Amino acid sequence: MLLFKDLMWFFKLEKKSYGLGILVLVFVALINLFPPYAVRVIVDGVDKGNLTQGILLQWSLLLLAAGFLVYGLRYVWRLMIFGASSRLERLLRKQLFEHFTYLSPQFYQEHRTGDLMAHATNDIQAIEMTAGLGVLTSVDSLTTGSLVIFSMAFFISWKLTLITLLPMPLMAWLTSYYGTMLHRRFHKAQSAFSDLNDKVLENISGVRVIKTFGEEEAEIEAFRTLSADIVEKNIAVAKVDALFEPTIQLIIGISFFLALAFGALEVVNERLTFGQLTQFTIYLGQFIWPMLAFGWLFNILERGRASYDRVNTLLNIKHEIVEREGVTDQVPSGKVVYQKASFTYPGTHQPIFKEIDVVVYPGQTLGIVGKTGSGKTTFFRLLMREFDLSEGDLRIGGLSIYEVTLGALRAAIGYVPQDHFLFSTSIAENIAFGKPEATLAEIQAVASIAAIHADILGFEEKYATLVGDRGVTLSGGQKQRISIARALLLEPEILILDDSLSAVDAKTEKAILRGLKEKRSHKTTLISSHRLSAIEHADLIIVLQNGRITERGTHAELMAGKGWYASTYRSQQLESLIEEGGV
Amino acid sequence: MVIWRLLRYLKPHSQALSTASVILLLATLADVLGPILVRIFFDHHLVPRSFDRQALILLGGGYLGLLIISAGLQYRQLVDFNQIALKVIQQLRIDIFDHVQHLGLEVFDKIPTGALVSRITNDTEAIKELFVGVLAALVQNFVLLIGIFIAMFSLDVRLATFCLVLLPAVFCLIYAYRKISTKIYRTLRKELSHLNSKLNESIQGMTIVQAMRQEKRFREEFSAINNAYYRASIANIRLESLFVRPAVDLLYTFALVLVLNFFGFQSLHGSIQIGVLYAFINYLDRFFEPVNTMMQRLSQFQQSLVAAERVFELLDDTHAIKAVNALGSPSILNGQIEFKDVSFSYDASSDGRSDVLKDICFTAYPGQTVALVGHTGSGKSTVANLLMRFYPVTRGEILIDGVALSKFSDEELRSKVGLVAQDPFLFVGDIAKNIALSRLTVRAKDVREAAAFVQADEFIRKLPHGFEEPIGERGATLSSGQRQLICFARTMVGNPKILVLDEATASVDTETEEAIQTALGKMRQGRTTIAIAHRLSTIQDADLILVLHNGKIVERGTHGELLLAEGLYHKMFMMQQGAME
Repeated sequence: MLLFKDLMWFFKLEKKSYGLGILVLVFVALINLFPPYAVRVIVDGVDKGNLTQGILLQWSLLLLAAGFLVYGLRYVWRLMIFGASSRLERLLRKQLFEHFTYLSPQFYQEHRTGDLMAHATNDIQAIEMTAGLGVLTSVDSLTTGSLVIFSMAFFISWKLTLITLLPMPLMAWLTSYYGTMLHRRFHKAQSAFSDLNDKVLENISGVRVIKTFGEEEAEIEAFRTLSADIVEKNIAVAKVDALFEPTIQLIIGISFFLALAFGALEVVNERLTFGQLTQFTIYLGQFIWPMLAFGWLFNILERGRASYDRVNTLLNIKHEIVEREGVTDQVPSGKVVYQKASFTYPGTHQPIFKEIDVVVYPGQTLGIVGKTGSGKTTFFRLLMREFDLSEGDLRIGGLSIYEVTLGALRAAIGYVPQDHFLFSTSIAENIAFGKPEATLAEIQAVASIAAIHADILGFEEKYATLVGDRGVTLSGGQKQRISIARALLLEPEILILDDSLSAVDAKTEKAILRGLKEKRSHKTTLISSHRLSAIEHADLIIVLQNGRITERGTHAELMAGKGWYASTYRSQQLESLIEEGGV
Repeated sequence: MVIWRLLRYLKPHSQALSTASVILLLATLADVLGPILVRIFFDHHLVPRSFDRQALILLGGGYLGLLIISAGLQYRQLVDFNQIALKVIQQLRIDIFDHVQHLGLEVFDKIPTGALVSRITNDTEAIKELFVGVLAALVQNFVLLIGIFIAMFSLDVRLATFCLVLLPAVFCLIYAYRKISTKIYRTLRKELSHLNSKLNESIQGMTIVQAMRQEKRFREEFSAINNAYYRASIANIRLESLFVRPAVDLLYTFALVLVLNFFGFQSLHGSIQIGVLYAFINYLDRFFEPVNTMMQRLSQFQQSLVAAERVFELLDDTHAIKAVNALGSPSILNGQIEFKDVSFSYDASSDGRSDVLKDICFTAYPGQTVALVGHTGSGKSTVANLLMRFYPVTRGEILIDGVALSKFSDEELRSKVGLVAQDPFLFVGDIAKNIALSRLTVRAKDVREAAAFVQADEFIRKLPHGFEEPIGERGATLSSGQRQLICFARTMVGNPKILVLDEATASVDTETEEAIQTALGKMRQGRTTIAIAHRLSTIQDADLILVLHNGKIVERGTHGELLLAEGLYHKMFMMQQGAME
């Protein structure tokens, strides 16, 4: 019930729908008291022999009218209450999605996509259930339940009502007892299923080993055992699950028996008519549903509550990067300066950077190299303010990046990440991702620079070719080049290529670098790479190691030394020679 | 048809099925008899006020007895149908798993792991719903409807005939509902999947969305999809409101009016039996619940069928490697391996354009070591894949001891050819079990000896539980070197004639590096070995070194010969020497 309090804001928001819905619901419960009464009148008429054609016609018409009225009214309350709950679903999902768009990359590193998806779908559906079915069940079982009992007791016989309802608490107790038992057994069945799932996953992943050692039969045997276990656990569930129906049937049967036996006694004693007895048993039939629904209601509310808490926790996560007061939204431009920049990941002690100083002038290209884990990507992420520096400053054109809005900063930077991600739309739309209004000519121009234009023309649908599951499968290199074109289209002040030429062959790499040099002669380009050939041409190359810059200079300068750069460069030269077959 | 194929799985259970059906019939009979007893009580005792004690006790006792019998039988029947359904699913699961075990590796390359797992587990689970939730419920409710009609006919043939008009009405309603709901459901489902894929994609690509400042556009796009889904939901609510419970209740009202008028008019022209009227009203009350249930279950039906279709599609995949009859299989005695003009492509339809191996020819004589070197993608691992018969050889020939590879039985091949894969894969279980696997001939002593042979016993003995040390998922608690050593022991415990070593490229930790190198040397002794090497230092003593480039053997000879030739091998050697510095 607590959840209803939590959702009060929404009920208030939709007070018209809920108000009307609940009103109609109560009204329907009232009208439903009528048909049993009509039956009573006719049965009594038949019994006493004073029925006339007129009476029959009159009550028949009234019954039909009530039937149609209820039909219409049910349509209304369903639309009102379920419509409102659907709007809650829509609203929460929209809020959650908008919240997602504000959360930092760090958040997305810490949360698995599957979990976030589950919150936005299953959890929100569970809340929708509460606001729809939950409201309906609580209102309906309360009104119908109490109205029916009231009618039975006051209009027919309170004594008979009392006797008849005697077995009902037993039913409530038994069903709730079965419920807990079922819950336990269901849990076991679920874990048996997840064991099977794990086994199959292991089997499929280890298929080579299994084939190597001829373990197929043993695996099938193990699978047999696990699936037999599932059957056993599920039969245990079925044995409890199958108790509900017969138990309910039995107890209601006993109630009917009591009603008929004692009702007959009352008829004999002429305290009750046949019609009243019939009416009574029909009411009794109407009472079953609210009884059952009430038990069910707690289940819905419990699930809804857990889901609501989870969604709320998610919605309450603060955006990690906060903008300072009085920042400007002017897009920064000019030389990029890392000023005694130090950085340690939040919650860790090992510093990633210690007092790093780098200056890159407009029109220049900076090359960043170093072993895996030396901090190349972090170097960029700091510039994009995915994280804030621990100490020192980062300036673009004399303006600290902490003094501009996040939007302005992002407008200055075009980022091509390591793990190229494309959206499942057309290639053209993917390239125009950051500038949807771009013309095809503009798109083709950047595609040419990124050396992907010819590839695209090779596809059947050219630029309209769909990417992803429903479209073509692109190679890693093609995806990388599309990502580059995507960033180029924005003509950013600063272009960042984060090891984004790794899947491109040497010839194409050269072509792309040449294109970049021409196109971006007045703008800044930052490139990190494993393959040193990608940054050979840079105006400044830095080597990162253990949080410091261990070597810096141009290619020629670094090759003259005997450091990591020179030795790595030579070994890579040889490597590429071998790749090409030694010629 | 999918449904018939599913129903065929019921065949082995036909006896249990007929027993359950008989119980269902009896339970339904006991169920519908109740109102008839009430009718007798009303018409023969209550109305004429004739209260014969014995008859009343008989009636009351009979009523309660029927209740209890019906409840008992009902319970039995529910459990039985469930049991049958579960066993059917178990069989289906074992069939599909068995089938997947015998599929060639090309199927595993083609279908993602997640999808395969889901075929075997989730899809079969959905079919379970079909059997338990849909088919059983449909049968049970249908029988109940028939039972009610029979009871009605036994009470009053004319009125029951009148009530037969309910059937076409019910069928019309179900038909109309099906017809309209299929369309609305499809839209709802489509919008939902649209919503989910947008959500999924947005979450995955959010960093890009933010970096390119497209948050506003994405919010708008999502909002539009969210609205479309909302509209589909509302359409669905309207549909359910118009056709399901409210409509069925309206039908009930019609039926009630029909019955009341029938009796009313009869009573105008003579007396009627009030008990019959009561019983009819009672039956009507119960008639419509099964209708409601059946309508709700129908939408589940479609979903389960789709799952079944997917399962059967996989079952029909004919890429299974044909088992060679174990009897009469030649044996591998010497372990001589010969590749004769072997060409291979993973894409069988490419006509040689995407060949990863081209005319490979070489012979490894018994006890020799042949090493394969070359850069990534040169085709080294494919040689191992073909020798292990993971893929069928279609062009050229591979001979072992002069006999074609395809002639050997699985058992022979697997016991005589040992593969050590690049990626040390461990199963959940303990270390001893990972070494012994399911091989019955392997005793605990053999496990210990094999572990000692590959120098794995040293670290194993240091573990808290030694050989009984449990291994979690993928052996995450062990270092990659330790995992590799366990895999060595696993191979050596079978004492193979031929060894295929796919050397690990992953950086092996320094503590185990030495143990691994010693172990590898010992393992090769006395066995024909095909070694796929990434580090040239480990195969310098090989009897024959083959240098592969783009699927072709470009150089061959011993280490010394190849160095003198100053070709590709020489360059590779120089490079690795340089990297050592």
